[in-house]
Amino acid sequence: MSSDQDHLKETDTEKRFEFKKEESAAVTSDKGLTEEVVRMISDDKDEPEWMLERRLRALKQYQEMPMPTDWPGQPDLSELDVEEIVPYIRPDVDKREGADSWDDLPEDIQDTFEKLGIPEAERKALSGVGAQYESEVVYQNMQEQWEEKGVIFCNMDEAVQEHEDLVKEHFMTKCVPPSDNKFAALHGAVWSGGSFVYVPEGVTVEMPVQAYFRMNSEGMGQFEHTLIIAEEGSEVHYIEGCSAPKYGTHNLHAGGVEVFVGEDAHVQYSTVQNWSKNTFNLNTKRAIAEKGGTMEWVSGSMGSKATMLYPSTILKGRGATDNHITIAFAGEGQDIDTGAKVYHNAPNTKSTIESKSIAKDGGRTNYRGLVQIADGAEGSSTAVECDALMFDNESTSDTMPYMEIQESKVDVAHEATVGKIGDEDVFYLQSRGLDDDDAKQMIVSGFIEPITEELPIEYAVELNRLIELEMEGSLG
Amino acid sequence: MSTQVHATIDEGTVRELSDSLDEPEWLLETRLEALEALDDLDMPSVIRTPGREWTNLHDLDFEGFVDPLNAAEDKDQVGPDEVEVLPFADAVDEREDLVKEHFGSVVDPQEDYLTALSTALFSTGTVVHVPEGVDAEDVTVRTEMNSRSLFNYTLVVTEESSSVTILERQSTGDDVDGERYYSGIVEVDAAENSNVQYGSLQNLDEETYNYTLKRGYADTYATIDWIEGNIGSRLTKSSVETYLQGDSSESQIVGAFFGHEDQHFDVNARVWHEAEHTTADLVTRGVLDDEARSVYEGVQDVGTDAWDTNSYQRENTLMLSDESEADASPKLIINNHDTEASHSATVGQVDEEDLFYMEARGTDPESAKNMLVEGFFVPVLEEVAVDELRDDLRDLVAARLRQ
Repeated sequence: MSSDQDHLKETDTEKRFEFKKEESAAVTSDKGLTEEVVRMISDDKDEPEWMLERRLRALKQYQEMPMPTDWPGQPDLSELDVEEIVPYIRPDVDKREGADSWDDLPEDIQDTFEKLGIPEAERKALSGVGAQYESEVVYQNMQEQWEEKGVIFCNMDEAVQEHEDLVKEHFMTKCVPPSDNKFAALHGAVWSGGSFVYVPEGVTVEMPVQAYFRMNSEGMGQFEHTLIIAEEGSEVHYIEGCSAPKYGTHNLHAGGVEVFVGEDAHVQYSTVQNWSKNTFNLNTKRAIAEKGGTMEWVSGSMGSKATMLYPSTILKGRGATDNHITIAFAGEGQDIDTGAKVYHNAPNTKSTIESKSIAKDGGRTNYRGLVQIADGAEGSSTAVECDALMFDNESTSDTMPYMEIQESKVDVAHEATVGKIGDEDVFYLQSRGLDDDDAKQMIVSGFIEPITEELPIEYAVELNRLIELEMEGSLG
Repeated sequence: MSTQVHATIDEGTVRELSDSLDEPEWLLETRLEALEALDDLDMPSVIRTPGREWTNLHDLDFEGFVDPLNAAEDKDQVGPDEVEVLPFADAVDEREDLVKEHFGSVVDPQEDYLTALSTALFSTGTVVHVPEGVDAEDVTVRTEMNSRSLFNYTLVVTEESSSVTILERQSTGDDVDGERYYSGIVEVDAAENSNVQYGSLQNLDEETYNYTLKRGYADTYATIDWIEGNIGSRLTKSSVETYLQGDSSESQIVGAFFGHEDQHFDVNARVWHEAEHTTADLVTRGVLDDEARSVYEGVQDVGTDAWDTNSYQRENTLMLSDESEADASPKLIINNHDTEASHSATVGQVDEEDLFYMEARGTDPESAKNMLVEGFFVPVLEEVAVDELRDDLRDLVAARLRQ
């Protein structure tokens, strides 16, 4: 293999130009993930050399890593044709305005928005139909409010240009290196868009930072990167994704989220995601918490064909804390394999994981978690609680926690329960005049309450509404 | 006395072994097929997370331990008159049909590398047959290993509405230099409404690698209860499993282990609910001292047809030393929603307050700790319905604490 320099020389020519033309005409070709594509993305974004180098290194790692296929009971990824990914990257580069019209969206997505009761204009914005303009406005407002305090909140592509030093230091270096897993490597090679949040020392951002609009304005961004840096003693709540689904035409989402929780800082990352049902959602999310820092993950995983997502926290400093609250809902044909990973690498660290899952109409949910308490992490404690609710006999619910304990002065507890929706509960509610569906809906709402009460009201309402829609089976 | 020249694991050795036991052709064939399969078989599954295999069996030179032609043991096999308790070779002689019918029917002789190795090379074993309607208690099987390796095979067949309690004990006898390997396969076929209680206490010396697989099939209304105590060995990979195949069948798996120095225990308790109204209860408690390490995997697998399942699992580990490591993975796999299932696992150390309380009452710190460790095993000991086994287990725990 020739060096990067040689590659540059080779490609920085007319040949490269030709290639570009050729490529744009060959959007539908199934060429696979190549160096040329990666270079093109980087070039299109006018990125500094170091970022291109990182992309190319990630690409190499991606090519060398095998597909993860040997986990017990993992979702079937055989339908995920990596060679088909290229066409889905291309629109990221060339076509930033999202779908051409509302009618281009898959019906179930249109339907969802309609049923969520979101106004027409907002619906278009959320679904990415010509939303670029609106999203810029949103960013602008947020910046004005906080920039005096030194808070940065912008698009990740922009951050590479404007806040190069911060990004260079933190981007896929210590937190989520591309070598972490095949899809993190893929992400490192072709990432595009996403959010950059920087909160300086001692600053508390009172209202949640929301990437609600941005996510969707990009519309096509299936490889978005989120980088959150919270300096010592700062506090921020970042909310991403919301209920807006992705396009039906995309079949892979491999995002990356990196969170740096400084000493005594507090970061909450909340997301409610509802992917279209042909999406493979293979995300990598990780936080590193310094001494006394607190990381909180609140997530709702809805939609997708298959999800493999295990937000993880490395409790690096003494007394750092991690709280995970997750909910997964799998309906017909869906396999949601999700959980949490926590590494206790310092003394007196604490973690709690609360996982709820609902399986219905042949859906499969799996809690797959890892809690590791390293030698020397004395006085650490962890409590994991998983509850699964099953609606019918076609559905499957598994719990596969792993606990690796290398230190004796610890307190580790794991509990899991699985049960069907209580006939008695349903009967009781029916006897109060509720019909069967409403009764079940009410039971589910009660079941997921620990999640919804952590979310700002508008997200909680949406999560509930989404679950209601799933329960009615109206999204099919 | 031992010889360091061990036989190679080849067809000649297997033929010689089978010939010396005067075995019928079908058994020799089964052995040879298992031998041939070795090349293509994997080690038994161990817990794996990306980048890590929790028990590394690949590093062990199993073939190097193996010395099938020089296997030596002392064995006691005692049972009441109504029950047939036969050395394996005698059983093949006297009850060939029974052995032929059940041998390898519960544990596939070629399930993995180690079962195939066992099938090819086992030289000792026991067959227990309980006729219809017979209530037999106290079948005792004591195996004392006096050679570098021993491959033991146990087959238990209970006919309709019978019951039996079997106590198995493995220990090491004569001194043999270097590392050793003990392999024990246990198959239990419990017919309708029969009741099997199988208690096992492993106290092999700490140079011994130990692989045991115990598996039972429970028919309608049958009960299979396992008691699994692991104290000895250098490395133990033990699986205790029940397939609840008949409606209303039940199984309880009670496990206890106590590791010290550099012992490694990979302990598995697994149950498959395959029929309606089945119940399982898995209880394991373990203590780790020094640099000992435990890996626990518990599986509760509820099949699609397993309506009205009740399944419970508890695992608790007590760590007495900073150098010890305890890994646990209690798994729930639920394919039928008409299920009540739960599992829990905890890892912790001796409670400081309890210790303080006892010391305040005048107990010295060492005794206080020992009493608390003994107390920790009580909930498991309480589940051991066999007096002798319970007493022995308690004694072994107490002895280890006083070492």
